[in-house]
Amino acid sequence: MVGSPVLFIAIPLLAAFIIPLLGMIWKESVRILPGLVLVYLLTLSINLLGYVLDNGPIIEIIAGWTPPWGINLVFSAFSGFLVTLMLFLGLLVWIYSYRFKRNVDFEPAKKYFILLMMLITGSVGIVLTGDIFNQFVFIEIVGISAYALTAFYTGRDSAEASFKYLIMGSLSAGFLLLAIVILYSQLGTLNMADIARNIHTVKPVYKITALIFFIVGLGIEAEMFPLNGWAPDVYSQAPGPVGAAFAGIVVKSGVYAIIRIVYTIFDIEGAFDFLVIIGLITLLFAETAAIKQIRMKRMLAYSSIGQMGLVLVAFGIGTEAGVFAALFLMFNHAIIKSLLFYAGSYLVFNSKEKYINDVSGLGKSMPITSFLFALGAFAIVGLPPFAGFWSKLYFLIAAADSGMIMIIALILIVSIVEIVYYFRVVNKIYFSKKEAHVVPQRPTFNALFSMIVLGLIVIIIGFFPDLITGILHDASRDLMDKTDYINNVLSITH
Amino acid sequence: MDNSLQYLEIGFYGSAIILILVGLYGALMKKSLIKIVIGLSIIDAGLHLLMISIGYIKNGTAPIFSGEDFVVAGNMVDPVVQALVLTAIVIGFGVTAVALSLVIRLYRHHGTLKIDEIKNLKW
Repeated sequence: MVGSPVLFIAIPLLAAFIIPLLGMIWKESVRILPGLVLVYLLTLSINLLGYVLDNGPIIEIIAGWTPPWGINLVFSAFSGFLVTLMLFLGLLVWIYSYRFKRNVDFEPAKKYFILLMMLITGSVGIVLTGDIFNQFVFIEIVGISAYALTAFYTGRDSAEASFKYLIMGSLSAGFLLLAIVILYSQLGTLNMADIARNIHTVKPVYKITALIFFIVGLGIEAEMFPLNGWAPDVYSQAPGPVGAAFAGIVVKSGVYAIIRIVYTIFDIEGAFDFLVIIGLITLLFAETAAIKQIRMKRMLAYSSIGQMGLVLVAFGIGTEAGVFAALFLMFNHAIIKSLLFYAGSYLVFNSKEKYINDVSGLGKSMPITSFLFALGAFAIVGLPPFAGFWSKLYFLIAAADSGMIMIIALILIVSIVEIVYYFRVVNKIYFSKKEAHVVPQRPTFNALFSMIVLGLIVIIIGFFPDLITGILHDASRDLMDKTDYINNVLSITH
Repeated sequence: MDNSLQYLEIGFYGSAIILILVGLYGALMKKSLIKIVIGLSIIDAGLHLLMISIGYIKNGTAPIFSGEDFVVAGNMVDPVVQALVLTAIVIGFGVTAVALSLVIRLYRHHGTLKIDEIKNLKW
């Protein structure tokens, strides 16, 4: 072993507070330091993931208190995969926003990178922690930095979007705290494994109340209907790379928290059906809303909500194949939606209202960005040679194995809606006449680099899905094995 | 004796729930941004009271082992919920600070604190 999981939380948190100090000495260091931190953490997480796949999960005890008394971090195949994915996307966000606009001032860059580091700390912490109150703290860290990042541009209506997000976020955090208190009053423990071991002794009335409060409290980060009213406003007002960070990092950690609660902690059968139903409602609502959007980023935001609904449906199938498909969908959503946000925010860079119509005819003046956007659009609707095809295929196979025929029909119908609104944009880019007032914006070199990396991943996974399926199988097996999780955590000694 | 404990519990839990409901009313029904933020703080206060009352035992002492008059651990109130409440207070402070700074930004941008008049973003 080369390092311990606690570094994933300690180092970015430390970096967030060192950035302003270093900035006093050398101004460029506020941009460079986050990159160094993310590169180090990414290599560390890849190393640890390799170790975990061979030797079983790493349980890290904090401050010498063994579970169930102290806080512990669990780096298993499932959480390790998500951490690696998040750090990779975080690194790409850093590359993209290294010089998002030419000649950015020192002050905004400093604030931006402090908040980005906090966001990554919180999201990684949500995934790694094995203690529900600790998870609540990390959710609040994510929340506060996400509100601030949303309100980053002072010129737009960003404060309004951020305030909406804040009201919903802190109300749901209150419900989350209530759920934690209910569980604590019944079991006297906050450790996830210990709760999971003893949950069958709790009366159903407390169990169901706590589960409902948990899902309300966590659903806000996971963009679950009806708690996703913040998403379109936030995505359209936040800076472009922040939108990608939300879709790729924050939402993933929210889904992880819900899945951990439903799969590991609680033993209620109906919760899976609930996931399927709420996922389908989210999906149908989001895709029908997306088709009538006239603004680029709002359309992408609704599409992101829809994808998360699909992920919830896949998790709700409840079989190992379903979990596998859900993880594949999460991976693809993270990669492709980041690509779409990156490319899309350059396509509407100079247009004030960010209308979809403003991208008309940009295929000639911005060939690479347009091509990458089209690639992302083809991949996310699930056309065969790209990554999105495989995840949808595995999802349909998993649903068919469980006999959910009507759900397959619904998903396929929704896919057609998806095709309509994405291809409408691609059609405008390539086959419409250019709007006179739109000035194309050439992407900076580092932005282009991160977009091309994502585009290559989309194509490579499309042709060789085996590169990723092995680790996804391990991760889904790890999530399904609840007794193994409990035993691993509770048997740990110093 | 038992009766008094019961009344005390009802008092604790009842006032905690009333606080939460008052806070929810303030956060969801009021039109002024400042009042919404106050409502969110009141919800937090209610939750903190609820957590503290869960850890309370009658005639309990502070959860500190002090050298001379050594107290039995069974007589102490639950220290875990108190630690949780301390953390939750700090978090609530942070959220309130961010919320108020956003209110200042909104007031400068729109010149009003009425939530009905701030609706540039719609569904």
